[in-house]
Amino acid sequence: MTSALSRRSRRHWGWRLGAGVIAVAGAAPALAAGTDAQREKAALCESCHGSEGRSQAPDTPSLAGQPKQFITTQLVMFREGNRKNAIMNPIAAPLSNAEISELGSYFSAQPAEPAGKPLAAGAATAARGLAERLGCVTCHGAELKGQQHIPRLAGQHADYLRAQLIGFKAGTRFDMDGNMTAAAQALTPADIETLASWLSALP
Amino acid sequence: MTQSMKRASSERRIGTTAALAAGIFMAVSAAAQAPSASAPAPSWQQGRSADHNSSTLHPIAPILTGRPASELPVDKLKVPAGFKVEVYADGIPEARSLALGDKGTVFVSNRNLKDVYAIVEKDGKRTVTKVLKALNSPNGVAFSKGTLYVAERHRITAYDGIEDRLDNPPDAKVVIDGLDPSNQPGHFWKFLAIGPDGKLYFNVGAPGNIVMPNYQQATINRVDPKTGVMETYAHGVRNSVGFDWDPRSKELWFTNHARDWINDDMPHDTLHRAAKKGMNFGYPYCHQGDFLDPEYGKGRACSEFDKPAAKLGAHIAPLGMRFYTGSMFPDEYRNNMFIAMHGSWNRTTKQGYNVMRASVDGSGRVELKPFLEGFLTDEKADPPMWGRPVDVLVMRDGALLVSDDYNGIVYRVSYRK
Repeated sequence: MTSALSRRSRRHWGWRLGAGVIAVAGAAPALAAGTDAQREKAALCESCHGSEGRSQAPDTPSLAGQPKQFITTQLVMFREGNRKNAIMNPIAAPLSNAEISELGSYFSAQPAEPAGKPLAAGAATAARGLAERLGCVTCHGAELKGQQHIPRLAGQHADYLRAQLIGFKAGTRFDMDGNMTAAAQALTPADIETLASWLSALP
Repeated sequence: MTQSMKRASSERRIGTTAALAAGIFMAVSAAAQAPSASAPAPSWQQGRSADHNSSTLHPIAPILTGRPASELPVDKLKVPAGFKVEVYADGIPEARSLALGDKGTVFVSNRNLKDVYAIVEKDGKRTVTKVLKALNSPNGVAFSKGTLYVAERHRITAYDGIEDRLDNPPDAKVVIDGLDPSNQPGHFWKFLAIGPDGKLYFNVGAPGNIVMPNYQQATINRVDPKTGVMETYAHGVRNSVGFDWDPRSKELWFTNHARDWINDDMPHDTLHRAAKKGMNFGYPYCHQGDFLDPEYGKGRACSEFDKPAAKLGAHIAPLGMRFYTGSMFPDEYRNNMFIAMHGSWNRTTKQGYNVMRASVDGSGRVELKPFLEGFLTDEKADPPMWGRPVDVLVMRDGALLVSDDYNGIVYRVSYRK
């Protein structure tokens, strides 16, 4: 996270907490998923992760369309301090399991949209081959949409994906089971660029 | 290495060290591929053959928030005629091992999470309290003479008199430390039980799916809580996450997880009897007593090793097991074993996700019968089940408790004539 964005995010967060009440998000599309109570709880998240969890900030991940169990696992791990992040740890600290479960239900039901622009056909085919060789598709699924506790990669911001892969490779990114840390050891810097930009454009 | 790196998500997953080491041995699939895929396999995929490269099998993780029993099809659970199954307690995220206090407190452990919970029944009301926090994968719990023992990844600790002060538990007294020198992913969470000799028995699993363990790994060990002196009791045990002693012979029995990525039906996970110290059950050379490892088995023979008492099913993932010593169940159940099958992930057609009852006849033959079923809903689906049994515990009234880490629930099975 860049320092400028960190400051901005902290201001958002501080303002909302300081207000003592979490503001209800603005006018919601009529057909969007989620109860009013869920939307109210999600408003704090949406101040950084974007309306309905479609982030407009390249280093802040989109939550829309993520598997519920992935969202809840990460929030629990932020709360417990296993996954470390200066912004997320204090935000997750007071959340109950029931609140985390509600947030997971809400964001998993929102439609995702790709953050990046499609690669040229040849580059996309090569990137797909790389993802298959590396075994990304084994867990994240053939369409990289994630499942259960495993995140959706399709359409995620390239900056965020790049930062996670670099963190896994360095052994600094939280990893419940060590799998991604092991998987990332195979990646060259060029591989990380290829995967991040290709994945970010997937529907 | 961060704290998070010590976490683990599957009974069968393996670690970075293992994967790095495996990179040397595992040229089979990598050699045919582009340079960027020639580095180590992702941990739990270590040991896969080229045939498995397109496999979509993956470990299953617990829902770490837990789920309320009211949202789950607990009425679909099945037990034999005359038995009844009900929810004993929910709201215990990732409920793992169970231990019974002298005063009736049920202690429940975590593996990916960090807590130990207490279930207390008072005046007909049951309450769940988090009593220990911020532990390092505290999977093992055992209770003896007023003291709760907790096995974390790296140490075993004692909490004296804890049942009298659940609101304000005593400080941990260290029994033994330094059990996790590598700090790497691997089968290093521990099961804990107290033997008839008063010693604490615990496993140190293999660092990977199929990899050469060091002298301390792939073992069952015991430590004297009075002196802290530790010794290895059994070797060649890939990962045991459940053991108990036959109340008649005082012999140790334990469950064991075999390696993955051979095929759907091989090798079997196993049940073992270790009548004496020093036995070797074959890992990584020989699995299920009669199946030489395709790689490590070269130049070795299964006849070098001690045999399992029974094959339980491939990838079925036997965890907690206890002898039934209660008096509530019919006479034929007495001294039978109950075994919690966490259930397969490394199998295209899933099996397990139940509690089996094992009886042993005079010639040592083990017979298995289903006891608690109904978690598995679609053997081809992903996930195939809505709950996963982890441990079993015989209560003083003779009822059997069963923990479910997927949902954070403890069930109670009782019997009435």
